[in-house]
Amino acid sequence: MLLEIDNVTLLYGRIQALHGISLTVNEGEIVALIGANGAGKTTTMRAISGLRPIASGRIRFAGEDITKLRADLRTVRGISQAPEGRGIFPGMSVLENLEMGAYTRRDSAGIRADLDRVYGLFPRLKERAKQVGGTLSGGEQQMLTIGRALMSRPKLLLLDEPSMGLAPMLIQQIFSIITEINQQGTTILLVEQNAQQALSRAHRAYVLETGRIVKSGTGTDLLHDPAVKDAYLGVA
Amino acid sequence: MHFDDLAHNWGPLTASGLAQGAIYALFALGYTLVYGVLRLINFAHSEVFMVGSYAALITWGFFGLDENSATPPATEVIGYVVLGVLVAAAISGITALVVELVAYRPLRRHNAPPLAFLITAIGASLVISEAVGVATHRNQRGVPPLIQPADAFTIGNTHVTNLEILIILLTLVMMVGLDRFINRTRLGRGIRAVAQSPDTAALMGVNKDRVISLVFLIGGLMAGIAAVMYLFKIGTTRYDAGFSLGIAAFTAAVLGGIGNLRGAVVGGIIIGLFENYGSALFGSNYRNVVTFVVLIVILMFRPSGILGEALGRARA
Repeated sequence: MLLEIDNVTLLYGRIQALHGISLTVNEGEIVALIGANGAGKTTTMRAISGLRPIASGRIRFAGEDITKLRADLRTVRGISQAPEGRGIFPGMSVLENLEMGAYTRRDSAGIRADLDRVYGLFPRLKERAKQVGGTLSGGEQQMLTIGRALMSRPKLLLLDEPSMGLAPMLIQQIFSIITEINQQGTTILLVEQNAQQALSRAHRAYVLETGRIVKSGTGTDLLHDPAVKDAYLGVA
Repeated sequence: MHFDDLAHNWGPLTASGLAQGAIYALFALGYTLVYGVLRLINFAHSEVFMVGSYAALITWGFFGLDENSATPPATEVIGYVVLGVLVAAAISGITALVVELVAYRPLRRHNAPPLAFLITAIGASLVISEAVGVATHRNQRGVPPLIQPADAFTIGNTHVTNLEILIILLTLVMMVGLDRFINRTRLGRGIRAVAQSPDTAALMGVNKDRVISLVFLIGGLMAGIAAVMYLFKIGTTRYDAGFSLGIAAFTAAVLGGIGNLRGAVVGGIIIGLFENYGSALFGSNYRNVVTFVVLIVILMFRPSGILGEALGRARA
């Protein structure tokens, strides 16, 4: 088991955002976390990456308890998050953003190889290497956050709403690339509102509702689950 | 109004204003760097500067140099100046670091509101300046005559002194060096990342506390160097020397666009020049009036300063 979250609760002031969440991610998997707006998907991500302290519960990663570990040290251990909402560094060029992704690394040859890999996945980023991040289109910024997250050569890649605000064709493309990244050997935990795409790409998935996990199973199972269909897939 | 004075002395006023502005610029960097990363005005920065000026004087004191000493031979002078700059920079840097560790970091641990930081900054400033005031009996202390002012070159009636050249050159070197450090190195990228988005920077593995310490240290180093330049230009220091100069430097930072490194330089030079021009035009009693009128007018048209905000966006 690469990631194990055990009974995690989290508070925003007096509001309880997570009510005892447990989930696991095995090495090599794509695991999806789906749910409506405000269900706690992004909060779960922030708990895993360490941006938000949890109130109770345990988080284990690669056999170690990281519950109390600072966010930057979790990155060093191999967790890398592509934050939602185009969380790029707007004043840095595309290349500098990607170099920030490799901030904790010193192996310049390895960094260059990974830069080529990211450019291979996202040729558009190579064309825009010198351009300032804030001037990229929404889709390009999305690619940049994913590419940048890969630059740390993570064991676990956390993707928060990678399809948010993108045109349908671009969504298709981003999900193909996510599958490709996984096939190249990176374990992925994916948070999505686009349940159709997420479930058809994921090995396993969890359904989150108001801070609780209400359902889990393989991607295909959930894709054919009547309740999930009804609530998230908009099937007529 | 003495337009003839201004017209006649325009050259010398400009030379002196540039040197003064260079000192403000170095001093202002500390305000702007810390603001860029923490959105905090570190009022104690003026004391970081003042402590640096004493550090240099005490260092020279070890070698028996005080204001009544004779000027040592040229080769020794170079050694003393370099040593004074290094010690002042180091002591100012350490002072800034201690202020961050003792005063600000505990507040961040407890998620204190901005007002708590503001009052702590003012308190830290008063504690340091009053402590030095008590220790020095509130006397001023003179500078040993290491550098005898002499004309380096003359254009018309403009006599540019060796000291003005030294101040401007040293500032230029420090600015270019710092600009390159911030824009071209890995650590510099880390600083810009925290300034642009602290959370995302943490996701990249940047240790925010370490970046903050680094920023205080750099600001302190620059203030220490500025303090030695100030000593040579003005000739004395006192426990409250940082206060009025600090206001001018802080103004320079805001004028250029706080959080913007190049803005601090532009702001510093503008303030240095206008202080000198304003003194000539209206008499030296009006120098602060002129400075702040200029500030207010510029901010009316460019509220975020001449070059605009944000350390992260300081790239040309």
